[in-house]
Amino acid sequence: MRKLLLLCCFLALLAGSVWAQSGTVSGTVTDKSGAPLEAVTVSVVESQKSTLTDLKGNFRIQAAVGQTLRLSYVGAKTLTVKVTSLTHQQFQLDISGNNLNEIVVTGYTAEKKKDLTGAVSVVNVNDIKDIPEGNPMKALQGRVPGVNITESGTPNGAVTVRLRGITTLNNNDPLYIIDGIPTQRGLQEINQNDIESIQVLKDASSASIYGSRAAAGVIIITTKRGRKGTKRIDFDASTSLQYYNSKLTPLNAEQHGEAYWRAAVNDHQDPNNNGIYTYNWNNDYNNPVLTNVIIPTYIDGAHTMKAADTHWFNEISQPSVIQSYNLSVSNGSENGNSLFSLGYYDNRGIIKDTRDQKITARFNSDYNFFNGRLRVGETMNTTFMKDPILPVGDITMLSIIENPIIPIHTVTGGWGGPVAGMDDRDNPVRLIENNKQNINNFGRIVGNAYIDFAILPNLHVKSTYAADFAGNYYRAIQLPYVAGFLSNPANKATQSTDYAMTLTWQNQLTYDLHLGKSAFNFLLGEENIQDKYQNFNGTAQGLALNDINYAYLTAGTSNIIVNGAGSGDALLSYFGKANYTYNDKYLASVTVRRDGSSKFGADNRYAVFPAASVGWRVSQEEFLKGNPIVSDLKLRYGWGQTGNQNIANNATYTLYSSIYGTDPTWDADHGSAYDISGKNSGTLPSGFTSIQTGNPKLKWETTTQSNFGVDFGLFNNKLSGSLDYFIKNTTNILISPPYLAVLGEGGNEWLNGASMKNTGFEAIVSYNTELSRDFRLSLTGNIAAYRNKVTYLPTNVLTGYPGNGTTQTVLGRSINSEFGWVADGLFTTQAQVDNSAAQPGKGLGRIRYADLNNDGVIDDQDRKFLGSSDPNFIYGLNTSVSWRNFDLTFFFQGVQGGLVYNNYKYLTDFTSLAPGSNWGNRVLDAWTPQNPNSKIPALTLVDRNNEGRYSSYFLESGSYLKLRNVQLAYDLKPVLKKVKFQRAQIFVQASNLLRFKSSSFTGPDPENPNNIYPIPVVTTIGINLSY
Amino acid sequence: MKNIKYIVAAVMLLTVASCKKYLDETPQGVIAASNLNTPSNVEGMVIAAYSALGNDHYTYPFSNMWAYGSLRSGDAYKGGGGPGDVSEFNQYETFSLNRVDNGSTDGTWYNLYVGVARANAALALVDNMPTSTYPNKVERQAELRFLRGHFYFLLKILFKRIPWIDESIPKTSYDTISNRSYSSDGLWSKIAADFKFASEHLPVTQSDVGRATKGAAQSYLAKTLLYQAYTQDDNNNVTGIDQSKLALVNTYCDSVINSGQYSLDPDFAQNFLPQYENSKESVFAIQYSVGDGTPQGRVDYGHVLDYPMDVEYGCCGFHSPSDNMVNAFKTDNFGLPLFNTYNNVDVVPTGDYKSITVDPRLDHTIAIPGHPYKYQTNLVYQAAWARAPQSYGSLLSLKEVVAYTDPSFKRLPPFMSSSKNWEIIRYADVLLWKAEALIEMGQEQQALPLINMIRQRAINSTTLLKQADGSATSNYHVDIYRPGINCTWTNDYARQALRFERRLEFAMEGYRFFDLVRWGIAGDYLNAYFSVEKNRTPHLTDAFFKKNRDEYLPIPLNQINFSKGLYKQNSGW
Repeated sequence: MRKLLLLCCFLALLAGSVWAQSGTVSGTVTDKSGAPLEAVTVSVVESQKSTLTDLKGNFRIQAAVGQTLRLSYVGAKTLTVKVTSLTHQQFQLDISGNNLNEIVVTGYTAEKKKDLTGAVSVVNVNDIKDIPEGNPMKALQGRVPGVNITESGTPNGAVTVRLRGITTLNNNDPLYIIDGIPTQRGLQEINQNDIESIQVLKDASSASIYGSRAAAGVIIITTKRGRKGTKRIDFDASTSLQYYNSKLTPLNAEQHGEAYWRAAVNDHQDPNNNGIYTYNWNNDYNNPVLTNVIIPTYIDGAHTMKAADTHWFNEISQPSVIQSYNLSVSNGSENGNSLFSLGYYDNRGIIKDTRDQKITARFNSDYNFFNGRLRVGETMNTTFMKDPILPVGDITMLSIIENPIIPIHTVTGGWGGPVAGMDDRDNPVRLIENNKQNINNFGRIVGNAYIDFAILPNLHVKSTYAADFAGNYYRAIQLPYVAGFLSNPANKATQSTDYAMTLTWQNQLTYDLHLGKSAFNFLLGEENIQDKYQNFNGTAQGLALNDINYAYLTAGTSNIIVNGAGSGDALLSYFGKANYTYNDKYLASVTVRRDGSSKFGADNRYAVFPAASVGWRVSQEEFLKGNPIVSDLKLRYGWGQTGNQNIANNATYTLYSSIYGTDPTWDADHGSAYDISGKNSGTLPSGFTSIQTGNPKLKWETTTQSNFGVDFGLFNNKLSGSLDYFIKNTTNILISPPYLAVLGEGGNEWLNGASMKNTGFEAIVSYNTELSRDFRLSLTGNIAAYRNKVTYLPTNVLTGYPGNGTTQTVLGRSINSEFGWVADGLFTTQAQVDNSAAQPGKGLGRIRYADLNNDGVIDDQDRKFLGSSDPNFIYGLNTSVSWRNFDLTFFFQGVQGGLVYNNYKYLTDFTSLAPGSNWGNRVLDAWTPQNPNSKIPALTLVDRNNEGRYSSYFLESGSYLKLRNVQLAYDLKPVLKKVKFQRAQIFVQASNLLRFKSSSFTGPDPENPNNIYPIPVVTTIGINLSY
Repeated sequence: MKNIKYIVAAVMLLTVASCKKYLDETPQGVIAASNLNTPSNVEGMVIAAYSALGNDHYTYPFSNMWAYGSLRSGDAYKGGGGPGDVSEFNQYETFSLNRVDNGSTDGTWYNLYVGVARANAALALVDNMPTSTYPNKVERQAELRFLRGHFYFLLKILFKRIPWIDESIPKTSYDTISNRSYSSDGLWSKIAADFKFASEHLPVTQSDVGRATKGAAQSYLAKTLLYQAYTQDDNNNVTGIDQSKLALVNTYCDSVINSGQYSLDPDFAQNFLPQYENSKESVFAIQYSVGDGTPQGRVDYGHVLDYPMDVEYGCCGFHSPSDNMVNAFKTDNFGLPLFNTYNNVDVVPTGDYKSITVDPRLDHTIAIPGHPYKYQTNLVYQAAWARAPQSYGSLLSLKEVVAYTDPSFKRLPPFMSSSKNWEIIRYADVLLWKAEALIEMGQEQQALPLINMIRQRAINSTTLLKQADGSATSNYHVDIYRPGINCTWTNDYARQALRFERRLEFAMEGYRFFDLVRWGIAGDYLNAYFSVEKNRTPHLTDAFFKKNRDEYLPIPLNQINFSKGLYKQNSGW
C-alpha cells in the first residue's frame, strides 16, 4: 500500500516536473491545542485549486514550491503560507473565540453552530467544571442569558431553573435531555464531571420538537464518551472549605430580655410579670428607663436548666469540608470507543450532619461494524447518594427562633428545652443528634442502548431504549426524649422504600441529502415514555431497644401501620424535522411533533406542536466577504409551539381515596375511619375521602413563541455575540385554583384558564484578545430581561391569582405581581393617630396603612398592586486572564430590580408576630418616643394592628451583585516536563465570596429571602491531571 | 434497491407503538365516584360522614367548640404562651381585635362544610340505592341528615347567614348559592327539617353506639327549635320568643325523657371519665379511638392544646377558666349560687376554697393549684404547671383531659390528647332545654324539678373530690331550689336560676356564648365582664364587644372573594 502511494507520488511528480518543482502538498490542520480541524478550505492562490480537510484535518492538494496556500476556516483568521517544500506539513489555525463550527446537540440531532436558526445557548463547560457545587446547574448561575437560577445552601440542594421568566403557574422546571433521554429529575443526581456539553434551547423553534414538556425550555446534556484515536486518563481532585459570611443576628439572652421589657412597657404592662426575667427600671411607663436585666440562675422550677446565652445558629452550623474526586479512563479506536468514570463527592454540610455523599460511576461504549455502517453502543450511569434524614427546615428555623436563654443541655446532661412562657419549640441541637442516625439511601441506575444502522451512507435508522430507575430506601428510629416541657417517651421505627421508573423507547430515521449547493437533513421519529412510581412504608412502635440497628418493623410491638401508593403516566409521540441549507447562506428548519398524553381527557389527548425557523448568514454574501470588520453575521427568526402537561396524573377523573387516617399533628385528619361501635381501639370501619374533581375537558397548556436573533462576529471574531428578542404567549394555563369551601374536600379541580405573554431580550457578548504571546484576555458579558403580562383571565380561575378576586385583578399585569396594603410609615405623633383613617389597632409607633380609597376606613378595599417580583434585568460578567502559566477567572452575577417578600422581617422587626420566640437585633432599634426616627414599629406583645398582613412593609429590593466565582489556576505542564501530561493544573477558587445588595433589603441575602439555609462561601483547592 | 427492505423495516419500527391503549393509564390506588355504588362502599361513605365529626384541628376545634363558645363567653381565657400564641383565638376572646381575614374563621367555615359535603356525598349515593340491595336505606338517610343537621347547626350559630346546600344540588351550581338565599329563620327551618326527618326514621337504639338514634335526633331538633324560638332581626337583636316553637321544644324533650333510654349519671364526674363512655347520660357523642391503625389514633384533636406544662404532660396550657368563672361556683349559706354578687370578691388570688362554700362542680371543671388533677390524689395540680401565668393565671380546664396513666391518653408530640369521647348532647342538656322552654312559656313551676334534678346530681358528686388524706378538696355546699325556704321561685328568678345552672353545669363545654346570643344578652353581659376582668388580667385590655356585630363571626373574607361577591358580609362587619 505504501509502495503504491509512493508510486503515485512519483507519477505525480513526473507529471508536474514540466514546470520546476511542482506536485502534491499534503498537510494536517489543527487548532492551537492540536485538535484536528475538519472542513478547512485549503486553496492555492495561484491556481485557484481548492480542497477541504478530512475528519483528521488532513488534506492533499496540487501545488508547487513558491506558490501560496490559503487556509480558511469559518471564524478563524485566514492563514496564508508560501509552499517551501513538498513534504507533509503541520498547520495551526487560531480558532480561539470562534465557536461557529462547534457541534451543537439540538432536538434529536446535532448541528453546527453556524447552521443554527433557533435560540440555543451553549455553555462553556470548562468555565464551571471545577466548581464543586454538587449540581452543575448551580455552577451555571448567571452564565447563560435568559436562564435564571436560584439556589439554597443545602448540600444536596436542588436548584430552581427558570428559562425566559415564568411560563406557567405550574412546574416551571425545564426538561433535561441527558444523552438523548428526557427526564425532569434534578441534575444533582449525576456527576458534574461527566458532562461534556450543556446546551440550552430557549426558544420554541428549537425546543418544540420536545413538544408537550418543552414549554419551560429544554436543557440538553451530553456526557463524555471515548474519542477515536485517544487513550486518556483524567484525574481531578478538590477540597473545599465552606463557611458563612452572611447570617441573621438574633438577640442574645440579655438583649432578648431587653426587647421583652420594651414591648411590655409599651403595652403598659408590668414587664416583671413574666416567668424568667426580672427588671430594674424606673417604673415610669411614659418615660421608661431600664437599669438592668436580671437573668435568673435557672430558668425552670426544677432547677435543671441553667440560664444560658446560646447562639443556636452557631450550635447547629459549622464551617465544613467538601471533597470531590473524579477519575475517568477512555479509549478509542476505529472499531469503537469506551469510557469509564468514577466520581466521589462528599459535602459535609454547613448545617451539622447534613452531609451528602455521592458516588457515581459511568460506563459507555460504542462499537462499529461493517465499516461503520452499523453502530451499537450503550451508556450506564449509576448514582448512589447517602443523606441523613434531618428536619433541616425545622432545625434552621428553630435555630433562629429558639430562645437564647435555653441551654443546650440540662445540668444532668439531658436536653434543654422550652419552659413555661415560651413557644412550644424544640431544641434544634436535639433534632440533629436524635435524627442523625437515620440515613436515606438513594440509588439510581440509568441505562440506555442504541443501535444505528446506515441503510444508505446518508440514511440512518436508530433505535434507543432507555431505562431509568431511581429509588430511595431508608430506615429511621424516633428516639424518646424530654426537652423542657416537650417530651415523647415513645420510640418508633420506620422503614420506607420507593422507586420511580421511566422507560423510554425512541426510534428515528435520518436522511442527509446534498444537491448542488443545497443540503437537506430529515428526521422522522417516534418516542414512547412510560413513568411508574410506587412507594411503601411502615412504622411500628414499642421497640425494646433505642438502637438504629434494632429499628426494624418486626421489632415493633404496637401501632404497626403500613402505607403504600403508586402512580403512572405515559406519553406517545411522533416527530419530524427538516433542515435546509443553501450555499451555507440561507438556512431553514421545520419541525412538528404530535404528542399524546395519558394525563388528559380522551377528547383532548393529542396535540400537535409545530415550529419553523429561518436564518440568513449575511456574512456569506459577496458584499460582506472579506469585510475587515464583520467576520460573521447571521440573522435568525423562529416560531414554534410547545406544551405543558405538568399536572397530577389523574386530573381528568373525579376521585375518591380510601384514606383511613392521616397524622393530625400539624394538619387535620383527612381520614374516614370512625369508631362507630365505640370499641375505642382496633381496626375501624372506614370509607372514602373525595380528593379531586375531574375535568374531562382538560387539555394542554400551549406556549407559542417567536424569536428574533442576531449572531455576530467582528474583527475576525475577536468580538462576538448574540442578541435575541422573544415574544412568548402561553394560553390555557393549567391551574387548580382555590375554591369555595362549600365544595368540601376534593373541590380542587384542574382548569385551563388564563393566558399570559412574556417578552424579553437576551444578549451575550464576548471579547477575546491576545495582548501578547503570554497574555490573553477574555471577557464575556450577558444580560437578559423579560416583561410578563397576563392577557386573559377567565372568572373561573380568578381566585388563583393575586388580586381581590373582584375589582382588582392581575389582568394586564405581571403574574408575579404583589398585592397588598401600603405601609405608609409609622404613626409618630398623637395628632397623626387621631387624624388618620379608622384603622383597628392604630396607635403611636404602629404602622400606618394608606387609605387608598379615601373612605376613612382601612380595610381590605385598601389593597393595591405594589409591584412585582420580576427583576428589571439579570446579568453576568466573566473575565478570564491568562498570563504564561497562570489563568485567572472571575465571574460576577447580578439581579437588578424586582421586589422580594422578606419573610425574616416577621422575626427581625417584630416582637408580636412570634411572641414566644427569639427575635432579630433590629428590634433593639424599634420606634419609641425617644427614638422617633426609627422605621421599625414600636415593640408590643400583641399584634393589635395586624402588622403581619401582606403589605409593602415586607417588600424590599431584590437587587444584588455577587462575585460568584473567582479562580486562579496554574499550569504545571512546563514544570512536569518529564511526565507526559496532556493537562496538569492546580487551582484555587472561591464561590460567593462577595455580595452587594440594596441597602433597602434588611435580610442576609435577597437571593433566597425566605430560606434560612444560607448560601455559603466555598473556597476550593484542586488539581486536574490528564495523561 | 435491496435497501428497500431496510427502509420498510425502519418505517415499521417508527409506527410500532401506535397502540391506542398505551395512553390509557388507570388511576392507581384511588376509586372513581362511579365505583362507589355498592352497598359496602356506600356504608363506607356513611362512616366517612361520621368521621368528619372529629376531623377538626386545634386552630378550628369545632368538635367541642371551646374556642368559639367558651372563650368568647367570659368563662375562659385563651391560655397558651401569650396573646400571640394562636393569636386568632386572642382575636376571638377580645372581639375588638377580630377581623374578617382571621385564618381560623376561614378554617372553621371550610372544615364544617367538609362535614356537610361528606354527608351530602353519602346521601346522594344512598338516595340512589334500591332498598332491595340496601335495606338500611332510610335509616342511613336519617343518620346522614342528622350529621348534616349537626354541621349546619354549628355553621348557623357561628355565622348566622350561610349557604344551604343539600344533595339535590349539583356541584356545578354551588357557586350560584348565596348565603342570603334563605333568611336566618329559613335556615333554622332547613336544619330543623333534617333533624325532623332523622327523628322520624331513626331507631330508638342502635347496635353501633356511635350512630345517631331517634332520641339524639329529637334532642337536636329540640335544641334547634329552641334557638329558632328566639327571633332575631337583621342586626342580631332578639325581637321576641316564638311560643309555638317553645311548645315543640317541650314536646320533643318529653319524647326523649319519656323514651326511658336516658338518665343522668349518678356522679357528675362520669361524664368526663373515659371508663364511663356512652353511658345513659350520653345522647350523642363523638367516638374517639386510639391504637386503631391510624398514624396517631383518632383522638380528641380539638382539645389537644389543653394539657398542663408539667413533665407528665407538657403542652400547651390553653383554655384557662377565668376568675369570673371560678367565682360563679361560689354558693351562699343556702347552697345556692350568688346570682348578682358572685364576682364581687375574687377567690382566685386567695386560693382559699375552704373558708368559702362552693358547688362541687368547681373541682370537676377546673384545675386549681393544690387540688388533685383529674381526681388523682397523687398528682396534685401546681401553679407551676401553668404556661403563662402573667397573662392567663394558673387555672386550666379539666373536663376534656384525662389522667396520663389512662389507656385513652395519647401523646402526639408536642401535643397530647385522648380517645375519651366528647359529648355533643348529654341528657342534662335536654332537661335544661325543656326547663328553659317552660320558663319562657311562663310555666316556671314545671321547670323547677328539672333544674333541681341537675342540682341534686351535683350534690351527689363529691365522692371523687378528695385529697390524699381523704379530706374534701374544697368546702362543698350546694342545695336544690326550695321555694319558700331558700328562694322565691318567680318567673324572673327561675330564668336567672336556669341561666346560672346552664353555666355551672356546662362550664367549659363549648356552648356558653351561643346561650348568651340566643338570650340576646351577649353584648351587655360581656362588656360588664370585661370591665371587671380586665383589671385582673392584662390581656383583656383591648377587649370590647361591639353590639350588632360580634354576636356572629364575619363571613370569611376568602369566601366572599371566592364567591366573587355573591356572599354578603354579616351585619356590622
